[in-house]
Parts: sequence; structure tokens; C-alpha cells
Amino acid sequence: MRRLPCWAWLATASLLTACAAPSYGPIVQDLSVVARPSERLPSAASGSATTVTKQPSIVAQQQAVVEPQAVTITAQPQASPIQASAMQASSVQASTIRQPNQPSTSPISVKPISSDSAVAIAMLEKPKPLVDASAKLPASSRAVVEQLLAKADQLKAQGKVTEAIIQLQRAQRIAPRDPKVYARLAALKLSLGEASRAEQLALKGLTLVPNKKSYQYYFWRLIAASRSHLGDVSGEAKAIDEAAKYK
Amino acid sequence: MSTKSSNSKARRKPKKFRPWLWLSKLATVLLVLGAVTLVYLDAQIRHRFEGHRWALPAKVYARPMELFVGQQLAPGQLDYELTQLGYRWVKRISAPGQVQKTPRGLTIYSRGFRFVDGHQDSRLAHVSLANNKVTTLKQASGQPMTLLRLEPQLVGGIYPAHNEDRDLIQLDDLPNGFIETLLAVEDRQYYNHFGVSPSGIARAMWANIKAGAVVQGGSTLTQQLVKNFYLTDRQTLWRKLLEAPMALLLNLHYNKDEVLEVYLNEVFVGQAGKRAIHGFGLASRFYFGQPVSELKLHQVALLVGLVKGPSYYNPQRHPQRATKRRNLVLSILAQQGLISASQKQQYQALPLSLSAAQQVSRYPAYMDIVRQQLQQHYPASALSNQGLRIFTSLDPWVQYQAKQAMQQQVKLLQQRHKGLNGLQGALVVSQRDSGELLALVGDRDGGYAGHNWALDKTRQVGSLLKPVVHLSALETGRYSLLSPIDDGPIEVPQADGSVWQPQNYDRKSHGVVPMYQALAQSYNQANVRLGLDVGVKQVVAQLRQLGLDQDIPPYPSMLLGAVEMSPLNVNQVYQTIAANGFYSPLTLVRQVTEANGKLLSHFAFAVHQAATNESVYLLQQEMRKVATEGTARGVYRYLPKHQQVAAKTGTTNDQRDSWFSGFSGQHVATVWLGREDAQPTPLTGASGALKVWGQLMKNIAYIAYDDLKPPSIDYYYLNLKTGQAMPSQCPNGVWLPIQKRLAPLTTTQCGY
Repeated sequence: MRRLPCWAWLATASLLTACAAPSYGPIVQDLSVVARPSERLPSAASGSATTVTKQPSIVAQQQAVVEPQAVTITAQPQASPIQASAMQASSVQASTIRQPNQPSTSPISVKPISSDSAVAIAMLEKPKPLVDASAKLPASSRAVVEQLLAKADQLKAQGKVTEAIIQLQRAQRIAPRDPKVYARLAALKLSLGEASRAEQLALKGLTLVPNKKSYQYYFWRLIAASRSHLGDVSGEAKAIDEAAKYK
Repeated sequence: MSTKSSNSKARRKPKKFRPWLWLSKLATVLLVLGAVTLVYLDAQIRHRFEGHRWALPAKVYARPMELFVGQQLAPGQLDYELTQLGYRWVKRISAPGQVQKTPRGLTIYSRGFRFVDGHQDSRLAHVSLANNKVTTLKQASGQPMTLLRLEPQLVGGIYPAHNEDRDLIQLDDLPNGFIETLLAVEDRQYYNHFGVSPSGIARAMWANIKAGAVVQGGSTLTQQLVKNFYLTDRQTLWRKLLEAPMALLLNLHYNKDEVLEVYLNEVFVGQAGKRAIHGFGLASRFYFGQPVSELKLHQVALLVGLVKGPSYYNPQRHPQRATKRRNLVLSILAQQGLISASQKQQYQALPLSLSAAQQVSRYPAYMDIVRQQLQQHYPASALSNQGLRIFTSLDPWVQYQAKQAMQQQVKLLQQRHKGLNGLQGALVVSQRDSGELLALVGDRDGGYAGHNWALDKTRQVGSLLKPVVHLSALETGRYSLLSPIDDGPIEVPQADGSVWQPQNYDRKSHGVVPMYQALAQSYNQANVRLGLDVGVKQVVAQLRQLGLDQDIPPYPSMLLGAVEMSPLNVNQVYQTIAANGFYSPLTLVRQVTEANGKLLSHFAFAVHQAATNESVYLLQQEMRKVATEGTARGVYRYLPKHQQVAAKTGTTNDQRDSWFSGFSGQHVATVWLGREDAQPTPLTGASGALKVWGQLMKNIAYIAYDDLKPPSIDYYYLNLKTGQAMPSQCPNGVWLPIQKRLAPLTTTQCGY
């Protein structure tokens, strides 16, 4: 075999090196060098032996809305129900909305809203001119809240539920104890089939209106509707009785 | 074997030296090498340039400030917020990012911002204020405005390991004169050369010879970009050799504007700690606190001047050098006829106009928890390179006041108590009803040098657990605030056969006291008795319902706070009490969006009832008593009498920990002070942590404490001796809320 001259070797070698994919080094580097090791937020923890079922963590409540490209959001099993009954105005007809984000796992079936709940929701959809419960708020912060609530209603009507919730929470930051905000949030949650959350929001709302009969009635009806949705018959009856006190 | 030897023999044969053959072989090698190199360079250039996706760190924003009529601000708050946002105070308002003082308040020209709920345009608003309250809010036209939302402050980023940070800009974002200044200084022939400029090199050489030193470089912008973009920092001959052909190739493939835009974003213009400031977009925000579009020519001149030596001309560290350099740049502009001589003088007379806002990470502890939370949802790479936008509830004003309160009070305490070394502290502030985390101070000076005491460290909480004991008692339905509790000496047999004898802080017994006084005065003996009557397990269960997710062994000593908690967890528990007994997890991330604004996730507010409204109301009133007449009454050295707060002090054995937690109408805050080595201190909850809490609460705006008495409760004017309600004209009575079903006997006598 004839030996290749050294220059030929050199040329081939350099060609080979050059043809190998150019190494740019990773443009993206790992964060761990800078960031501290991930730790759970101690307060937002799950699993407890208490009788009350808490919202287990912030994680659970972070609702993934859309899958970002190249970003995986750890889908939480506790995330919002995949299928929820939605109320169309005052009709009892329930339709199914699929949240855009949800991976196609098995749907969680949600009990259709009973006619009683429908009444309550219808009421919530068109809030009665309730006796002014936000009397303590300065006149204009009431105007701000009204404006944001109107915006939320509008978004909800367009089917933009997340956007509506964002507006309601914005209103809540401006007027943290305005029962109207709780009423809207609770009603929205119930219309999404998140009856347990709706019930809790309404219960909190109740603590804000100790002397406002119309609100008390309203919140108790909402609680009744939520409990009916959850299949809690005795709880529902109790709430209906409570509501009757304020009729 | 034989062939080999014959081969070597053949080699040794004398050969005729033929130079042309050697030359041609060498030329072939070089040609191949050159061609290969070019192909390689070309591939690299195109790959890097076309993909020019920089790793964009996630941006973390504070809550946006919302202004509306009737809003109560703290003194100095609005000025502070605007300064932090990089607003400039001007005599006559004309552009976004400016603010003008008016007789009754301010005129603000807000910047546009893409919020989660849509883009908000830049707006001019007239704000009038009286006693720090917004009295009117009007548009430029004079029409009333309901709500003005300012853009949120950018408070940090989540950087990749190499700590490169930038704000992407486009040519259109640049103010007038920027490109002209850049080219005048760095590359006059930019639009005419081929990526390298022989005439530029010649001119630079000539200038250098004339000056006898290196005063000008001959590199074009294209070459500089190649240097920054593709090559390492090492000054090697190899690099020098590659620079020119790469610049030519770049120039061949892309048009001048494209290359320039990449240059604008790539150029290195400073270093902030570990963070490398790249591009003029970030540089503008970093040095001036303003978007690049708002820069005036003297600021432009400074930025362009910095390219030559970002650390040597660092305007923060070497303002004189920086000024000199800036003025030189302005002179060049005048020389080239881009500005007039008088303009030059005008600009040269201006100050550097650096941002008044602090630049080095202002919110280390808060950013810490933001990172921790985000890492639960997003992989590290997504956070450091996708340009995600993270909207948090951080309140810059509350954070600022929290840090001030911690720093100043710790300093005062160390002055007062000589030898009190290694004092550490932590402070957590949340919004009362939403549970949003507004501020977090992780150490004594808010600077964060190691441990985050608010998050990572747990200490015994002492008397801070007493409210939980009281809540458990009230939940049994058997107790009212008037219930008599024996504060006599108590012995508790332990499981291991020993006997626990808790004592009061003053080593005295106070006889039989009404329940609310046992809390107000923080009597240990009475509280242990109350807790044992309710049951330790019950108290533990209540504590968990309030939001503490920890294993707590049900030993009687937990009744006096032998439970280790972090300040954050303490605040969670008090948050639930403050929010009328409804648990919401403390949150801080409101929304996450992609760089283009698309919503990725948002936090949905939710609550869960942890105790009845009646019991929580009574507990809140007890805690109000702690502040008005009990161990926390020192807060009124800081607060006006009319500001209602509910609170509790905490002191652990040998005064190792000084705690204070409580709430106003709007905020829940928890303070911990103690030594790093957990040794005793001279501080109680009242003589230590209370001061930090008091100073903080004094300086953050508040909304009135909304006293929402449940219908099942009434107020009675009581004679504490007899436990009976008496006419309100009687002396020495106490108003207490009592459950109607436990209503005390009512007499017409005073009973004294």
C-alpha cells in the first residue's frame, strides 16, 4: 500500500474537522448556577391530616392557560376541571367548554346545574340593584370597581373567562372587601362548575355583609346552588333556610 | 519486515530537491485550509446571525400602580414610585416618561405598556392631591378619568448562568440622532464600506501616529460585532486573522440595517455585579432608568461613548471620566457638523442625568421566592432564555419601607444594646384579603448575603401561637372573651414522666383573669390551662387549618409556641386570621406571559374557610386589645391613635427570638429578630420586633380597619369583677363583644 503524503493527511484532517458541525456552545445555559436550589414554598403545601380540604398549593391554582412553545408547564392534577357546565343566560341548558390549555386527558364529568342553581345564577348574571354594600368605599373607588366589573362581564360574555377573572381580581385589589367582587367571582366559578370554590367565595362574601340583607340572601342562594352542584343535599337545604331569613 | 526495511532503504536514497513541487503542495494545503475555514466561518455566521435568538432572561415586574380618585397614598409614595420608574421632573410636560409639578398635584405622562389584559397607550393625566389622597384625576382634555394605571416597575430578571442580560430594541426605537452619533464615533463610513474599511484603518493609524498613542481603532462596527458575537474574548492572532474575513462575509450576506440592529443589541456596555449589560436597550434602562426612545442627545452621547470602555468610563463609578468622554463625543458631533457649536455647549453643560433609582438588585429576598415558585412550573431554561414576563404582586413602596424599617431599627437596637452582635431579621408583608405577598426582607439590611431568614430559617415562635389557642377555644362554643381563666401555677405531667412547669414572663401569677386578658398580657400559665382544656390536638389541628403545613407533635409545650416556623409561615397563619378566617395561600406571581404577551398562566384567587366567622371576629377583637392595652401597646408610639391594628408579640425562651405579627385594615406583617447563632438577646417581642413593625405600618398607606361584626355577636359594657353587663354610665367598665347566646347577666347597678 502506498503511503499518503503528509500534506494530504493534513488537508483531509482539516477538512474532517471543518465538516464536523461547528460547535457554538449552548446558547442557553442552565440556570442552576445562578438560581438557588428549588424549594417548595413552605406555606403552600399539600396533604394535611386536617378535616378541611385546603387548596393544596399555589401550584394547584396556577391554571395553565396555554402551552407555550418549548415550555412545559407541569400540569397539576388539581387544576381546574376539564369540562365544566356553563350557563347560558337563565336557561338550564348546559354546554361544555373545553379550556384551551388542557391536555386531552379523560374528562372530569360535572353534575349539570340544577334548576335551583339556575335561578341563583340567573340572579347573579343580572345582579339586582343591591343595597349599597360598598358604602364605606369612597365614591370613586366604587366607580373604579363598577368599571372593572363591567369589563369583566363583557369579557365573560365573549367567553373570555380567564380574562374576566383577571379583571375581577384587579377590582379586588382596589377594593379588597367589596362584596360585589366576591359575588361576581363566586358566580363565575359556579358557572364554570367549580362549585366548591364558588361556595367558599360566597362564604367569605357573607362575612363582609353582616348587615346587608339583600347580599346575605344572595350569597346564601349562591351557596345553596353550589352545594346542590356538589351533591351536598343537607348543606343545600340549610343554605336555602338561611337565605329565607333574608328574603 | 522486509518491505519495511526496503522502504526505509528507498527513503534514504538521495532525492533531488524540487522547490516548485513543495510550493504547490503547500499551496494546496493552504487552499484547502482556507476554503474549509471560509465554509466553516460562513456556516457559523449564518447560523448565529439568522438564528439570532439571544437568551432573553425572564423579566419580573412589580405590581403596577393604579391611581383613582379617593385613593390614599403614603407621604412621598407617588414621587418615589415615579422616580423608580425613571420619570423625569420637567417644567413643561411634553413626552411620555415625564412628570410636572402643578399647584394642586402632578401631571403625569405615562408610558404605554402591554399588560396582560391588553396594551395600554401612553396617557397624559392631571392628578390633584390633598393630604396624599387623590382628589381628582383628569385626562389632558379635562375629562375625568376613572383609573390611571402606570406601567409596572421592572424589578429583576432570571438570568442564565452566564448572566447576560438585554432588552431587545429595533432601529425604530432609537431617538433622533442616535445612529448618527454612534456612526460618527465608531464607524463613519459604515454605510459605504464592505465590512472592513481600509481607509478607516489608514485614518486611525494616521491619527494614532499623530497623537503618539492609540486614540482611534480601525475596526468597523461590523468587525466589532464579529468580535463580540462570534469570537471569544481572548486577544489572539488567530482571532485577529478571522475578524476581517468574517466581517466581509457578514456584510455580504446581510444588509447594513440588519447588521446594525444586531450590533445595537449585542454591544457590551457595562457590568452590574454578575450581570453583563448588553445592548443599548438595557443600557438605557440601566443607566438612566428610561426607555431608549426617551433619551436626549447628551445621554445618547454617554452611551455611545461607553462602548470604548464600559468599566473605565463607568458613569456611576467614574463620573468625571464619563463626563469627559461624553463631552468628547459631543465635540465630535460638532466637528462633523451634526450639531452646532452652541448646541454642543448646551449639551456639554448638562449633568450626566443618571437614574436616581438604585440599580443593583433591590429585591433579593423577593426575587428569591419568585424564582423558587417559578421553578415549580417552568424549566430553568425557559425562565432564562424565553423572555417570559412575570407579573408579581411586589409593592415597591411597601418593600422600600420594609427594608428601611428593618435597617434603621436593627441599627438603633444595636446602638442601644451594646454587645448585641450578629442580630438578624426578617420581615414579610402581605395584603390582608388577597393574600398577595407585597414585600419580603430576608435579612437585617435587606441586602441578602447568604441566608434568606424569611424563607429558609425556622425558629420557635413563642407566644405568637397563643391566638391559635384562643381561636380553638372559641371554636368549641364554650368560651367568650369574658370566660374566667386561672393563671395560677400549673404543672403538666409529661409522657416521659417529667413535669413541665411553665411560668409567666414576670414569674408571677395573676389569679383568675378574663380570657381576653390572658391573651392581651400573654400570660403563659393561663394560656396553657386554656389550651389543655381545649386539647393540644385540637390546637394543632386549628393551626394546620390556618395554613401551616408542618408536622407538629402534639406536646403541651406547643401551646407556648415550641414550634419552629419561618416568618413566611407565621405570616400565612396570621393572614388567615386577618382574612376573616379564610385561608388563601400567600401568592406572588399574578401572571406569566410569553415575550409577545400571550398569557401562559395566571393565579386564580381562592379561599377556604378555616374557622367560623364568629370565632375569628372575637379573636380579632382580642388581638385589637393586645395592641391597645396589652403587650403590643408600644405600636402606638409609631401609629396614630385612630389607626386600628390587631397584633401579637412573641418572645421565646431566654429571649432568643423576638417576634411580632399582626394586621391593619390593609396589611398583614410579620417581623422576626434574633441572633444568627440563636443565642439569647436582650430583646422581647415588644422591645425588638415591635419597633420594626411599628415603623413599617406608620409609613405605608392604609385603608380603614373595617369592623364587620357578625350578627350573632353584641357588645356589652362589663364589670369585670362581677362579669355582668352594667349601664354605660358606670365607671371602670370594659366594652367587649360577646356571643348573644352567651350574653352576660345585665344589671341596672354598677356593682361596685
